Amino acid sequence: MKSFIRFFSSVKLAITLLIIITAASIIGTLIPQQRGLEEYLARYGQWANLFHRLQLTRLYQSSWFITLLLLFSINIITCTLTRISPKLRRLFRPTIASEAKKILAYRIKDKYKKPWKLERSEEEIKKALSSSHYRLKEENKENKTFLLARKRTLGWFGSDIVHFGLLVILAAGVVSGFGAFRSYLTLSEGQILPVPQSNFQIRLDKFETEYYPNGSVKDWKSTLTVIKEEKSLLTKTIEVNHPLSYEGHVFYQSNYGLDWRNPAVEIWVKKRSDSSFLRKVEAKIGEKISIQDENIQFSVTHFIPDFVINENNQITTRSLQPNNPAARIEGWQEDKQIFSGWIFAQFPDFERIHSTKETDLRFELKDFKTSQFSVLQAAKDPGVTWIWVGSAFLMVGLTLAFYWPSREIKMILEETKGTTEIVAGGLASKNREAFQAEFEKIMSHIRRSK
Amino acid sequence: MNESTLFLITFIFYILAAFFYFSFLFSKKENKAKKGFKLAFIGIAIHTIALILRTFESGHAPFTNMYESLSFLAWSSILAYIIIEWKYKIRKAGPYFMLIVITLMALASSPLMPKNATPLIPALQSYWLWLHVSVTLMGEAFFAIAFITSIMYLVASSKEKKGKAKKSSLSSAILDSISYRCVAVGFPLFTLGGLVFGMVWAFYAWGRPWSWDPKETWSLITWFVFALYLHTRIVMGWKGWRSAFIATLGFLAALFTYFGVNYLLAGLHSYA
Repeated sequence: MKSFIRFFSSVKLAITLLIIITAASIIGTLIPQQRGLEEYLARYGQWANLFHRLQLTRLYQSSWFITLLLLFSINIITCTLTRISPKLRRLFRPTIASEAKKILAYRIKDKYKKPWKLERSEEEIKKALSSSHYRLKEENKENKTFLLARKRTLGWFGSDIVHFGLLVILAAGVVSGFGAFRSYLTLSEGQILPVPQSNFQIRLDKFETEYYPNGSVKDWKSTLTVIKEEKSLLTKTIEVNHPLSYEGHVFYQSNYGLDWRNPAVEIWVKKRSDSSFLRKVEAKIGEKISIQDENIQFSVTHFIPDFVINENNQITTRSLQPNNPAARIEGWQEDKQIFSGWIFAQFPDFERIHSTKETDLRFELKDFKTSQFSVLQAAKDPGVTWIWVGSAFLMVGLTLAFYWPSREIKMILEETKGTTEIVAGGLASKNREAFQAEFEKIMSHIRRSK
Repeated sequence: MNESTLFLITFIFYILAAFFYFSFLFSKKENKAKKGFKLAFIGIAIHTIALILRTFESGHAPFTNMYESLSFLAWSSILAYIIIEWKYKIRKAGPYFMLIVITLMALASSPLMPKNATPLIPALQSYWLWLHVSVTLMGEAFFAIAFITSIMYLVASSKEKKGKAKKSSLSSAILDSISYRCVAVGFPLFTLGGLVFGMVWAFYAWGRPWSWDPKETWSLITWFVFALYLHTRIVMGWKGWRSAFIATLGFLAALFTYFGVNYLLAGLHSYA
């Protein structure tokens, strides 16, 4: 156990670990993380398998990197514990009595005789020290009084508080690693979805994209309602940087897209023999439409935003962008299908219609309307709060460590025949010049007082 | 007068300041350095107006693309230098430091940097933009001074060893301690702005405080290097060339975080 403590409390270990973790972190930025094996094979060839086996492709989540962090945490804990107990003793049970020889070995010191009795000297000195905000401890021995005056002793613990904060952040990381749950919800307007790992649902009331005058996207806004047991509890419009929080679940505007499941399609019906003939029809998918004065019904059976025929000769969409919109139509006459085929918005003359009966009608795909869907990231991460707590400790600790330097003045007052000899010395953890000035001010105040 | 004119005037003042600082370096006349300091001071005053104008023109924080960010880093650097020179009277660092500032200004004015103010993309529309970037860059400015004084330390100490040091020159011990004090200012600022505010913003914008994005990781690496600097110095008593060496590494890591990551590594921070 002792050798365990000795091993883990060494600063050399801390520095070695720090260097190894830094080096590992650098490697992790040079190799792209969490990609598919094919990408690594293409990029690194033979090496890809080795990288994969060494977990370099998901380095920050790898068992060896986490082991390093764990060792580092144990190191921080033992270092802090072994260093904090002498500090606590120094704070609560300091040795007050000292020897004049020791005090006079300090870099900042003074020695002076005053024609005062001990009580009088004590009183004056205490007043001077207190007015400079020092807190006093004293010990009396026959004709001697030992004084210990200190301030900003919290500064000693700055580094410990920093380390504590770091440990809290690391622990928060562990909590997040085991307890965090993230999912993506794709919602069209009006749609309700249950939120994973919760007892409520979320509804997208409205989704809109705002644009700048130059056409670039200004913001995506989703109006969301939290629904629990069929009651609407909360409505909020979220946008990028402004998520919705409810019972530990946070909803972020993450992505958006066009919803092609239910478009409205505008079709112009023309006649080959009569150029004045025009019927504008707005159709939903599957809706049967009769054309006025003609003994024909038709419907749009499919809509594809980016029409392509793939290598298996199947009709599919290349993307979700309307790059090559196409609609499949069917026509009937008295319950008998007479034609079916594809029409293209960008190529009105290029029609692929198979007819079983000649028809005079032509169909053009003129326009289409669709709603957008919004993609939300739903996150439940119980570690996050602890990251903020740890960060607060980290910053308080750093401030104390750098800008709250402790100061300590030790004094021995010794009375012989109505005269008191004052021996004083001071220690400061930082900024000695300022401390020296303060020390001299206190001492000269005592010298001058009558 | 518009922002780009003011930027140009600022640049001229910084160049003049550098000129006087260098003539101080060669002539050893104190009043040249004082003139350099005054010119830098006027420069930063005009620069401040330029940044404010930019903010009003664009309607957002003046550090959303590389041009703005370089200009702001130059501003932070001058501010940090003015504070340090006023406090520690290290005029000798002036000429070298002004070289860094002029490099930043020159990079900002290079034709490769698009200067027009573009509307903010959704991810950047947050007041955390102000806090995260300004505090981080301020911290990095102090790292830059620590770097300059560390290099000066290395030169001064080698001269002292050979007995070539002149009486007028700054002693290596002073340079070592100023370098430490700059790290003592830069480190908490960098921790707060770069890491803590960065995590808070990442949480609001991306849904998680830490994603091991290359820029995040490199800022952590920078933080580790300066943590190493502080521990070796305070606990193990390393001073002098070893401290100076680590401070230099730390500055290079900060530089890579700021610059290199954007051009060499792809990630979430692709906008700046």
